[in-house]
Amino acid sequence: MFKKLLLADLKMIIRNRHSLFWALFFPLIFTCIFGFFFGKNTTVGSVALINRSQTELANGFKTALTDSEIFKIKEETDEATAKDEVTKGTTSAVVVIPEKFGDFTDPNAPKSIKIIYDPGNSQVNSALIGFVDQFITATSFQMTQTQKIFTIEEEKINTRDLTYFDFVMAGILGLALMNSSIIGIAVGMSKYREDQILKRITTTPLPSWKFIVAEVVSRLCVNMFQISIILLIAVYGFGAHIYGNIFIIYCLAILGAILFQLIGFVIASLSRTTDAAQGMATAITIPMMFLAGVFFPIDQLPKWLSMFVDYLPLAPLLRMIRAVTLDAASPFDNPRNIIIVVSWIFVCLVISTWKFRLSKE
Amino acid sequence: MSKVIEVKNLVKSYKKLNAVDGISFYVNEGEVFGLLGENGAGKTTTLEIIEGLRKATQGEVKVLGHDVKHELNDIKEQIGVQLQSTAYYHFLTLREILNLFASFYKKSIDPEELLHIVGLKHKAKVYVNALSGGQRQRFSIIASLVNDPKIVFLDEPTTGLDPIARRRLWELITKIKSQGKTIVLTTHYMEEAEMLCDRIGIMDKGKLLAIDETHKLIERAKNPYTINFLVKELKEDGVATLEKVGKLEKVLGKEKDYSLKLKSADDLNKALDCVQKLNPLSLTVGRAKLEDVFVELTGKSIDE
Repeated sequence: MFKKLLLADLKMIIRNRHSLFWALFFPLIFTCIFGFFFGKNTTVGSVALINRSQTELANGFKTALTDSEIFKIKEETDEATAKDEVTKGTTSAVVVIPEKFGDFTDPNAPKSIKIIYDPGNSQVNSALIGFVDQFITATSFQMTQTQKIFTIEEEKINTRDLTYFDFVMAGILGLALMNSSIIGIAVGMSKYREDQILKRITTTPLPSWKFIVAEVVSRLCVNMFQISIILLIAVYGFGAHIYGNIFIIYCLAILGAILFQLIGFVIASLSRTTDAAQGMATAITIPMMFLAGVFFPIDQLPKWLSMFVDYLPLAPLLRMIRAVTLDAASPFDNPRNIIIVVSWIFVCLVISTWKFRLSKE
Repeated sequence: MSKVIEVKNLVKSYKKLNAVDGISFYVNEGEVFGLLGENGAGKTTTLEIIEGLRKATQGEVKVLGHDVKHELNDIKEQIGVQLQSTAYYHFLTLREILNLFASFYKKSIDPEELLHIVGLKHKAKVYVNALSGGQRQRFSIIASLVNDPKIVFLDEPTTGLDPIARRRLWELITKIKSQGKTIVLTTHYMEEAEMLCDRIGIMDKGKLLAIDETHKLIERAKNPYTINFLVKELKEDGVATLEKVGKLEKVLGKEKDYSLKLKSADDLNKALDCVQKLNPLSLTVGRAKLEDVFVELTGKSIDE
């Protein structure tokens, strides 16, 4: 009985393109978008280089800029064309090395490198100006044979090779679990109720708990598949790093999926129509997507807001996933996270057990 | 004939409203029993209490000798339920739905056999959404037969169907009855109840106004005989003569059509003589209908 029900539930999830979109393709789209921007072999932006000088210094600069791999370098000859590309947005900035730059035999040779940029593209501008400034300063010190008096001492908390994409990938895992579970259960159960399928089920000897467990387990199976696809594409497609134990990531995914499914049951209990359930689910998932740390760290928010969002169900889950993927740490190192998640599970379980019914009485 | 359903002093209250107000009745094995009443009369509530979907406020309900309150699972194994306007799973085929529901019971019938009964075998691999309204209702009824139930509950099975689809469903219900199953149905169609039911209970405002075998119920009409006739012109003296024998009514919306309702066979003979003298263009004699009894008992037509 249970096996057939589970199989039927899985078939329905797979055949329902709408729910499949939310479960699989929506997070995959995010993975690909962020992967293309911030994954491996990605740069801050493209820079057009116009090198009018053939001196050793000018060629050295060109080599340093290219080897830095911070920017995608394309060589141009015409300044007007390069400027036009910046205006159109096809190039982020232009670096012009003037004629005779670095020719020490000519006292009138130009001493500056020109950077043309759009002030709106702050990320590229600051990186490019910083790079050129550092190159010129280092060259000046070398030419004047001056030693640096003050230097920077760098100490990385994490010696691992990490990128922004690694941070976002953990967020996308949480986002995928949240969207598919909350929306899937809330809308699915409300639709079943509206169509009287839940009521029809209660006319049979099938115990209610078996019906619910089959629903939950079938969705967990889809979640596991969903997580696997995201991890595969992120790691092998865009070079994401996972330093912790993959088994723990799956355990956290199951924990998160159960929590979000319970939230889905609470929504289905409180909403009378499918439209209301859809609205309520969206009202919960969209703010959580932006506030709970999917795309950027919560500490960037104002303090009063971060204190609040710290306790949203997704936030502690993401902290635990990131502890595993980025730091290879145990999710229990900070017990506060697991306590918040388990508390949410407990609260949602109590409400849905109390309120969710297959039939009215 | 043994009683398969016994309902005693059943009450269902919602705050101050009694949706079902102290009704008692029984259903015999192998019969088609109908609960007739307008929307909100309490038919569905009564049915759902018997099916175990709602809890009674007061009273006792026994199905196949089992108490609904305490032995519901024993009852569920032996009954089949077709709910009012149930939709089935959208993304399972007809065969898959029947197989799934069959797995919920200890005993089950082959889904292919069920689909064959209602001529839907060729639709076994399609989704419910691809069916017409009539096909969907027929499927809904066979879905209630997957466990080979002793009693089948049909809640307004023909509502919203066109006349042909309705006729086909009546044939199906008759076929189910011929297999020895007991059928309990609710309807607000008089013709349907008259045609299908062996016994009928008429409900209004949660009360059971009358319950009897269908023909006996119709015989309870104050005017069990009717003459319908069409005349070119009915003068005042003609009207006076006819009104002495029976109750004369002009057929609604017609100028020359009349209906004469009569209390006895003697009155019928007298009235026939009178009408013949008027040289009617058309004349038919009939008995009262369930609708007449319903109107007399409730004081209103079912469409009100």
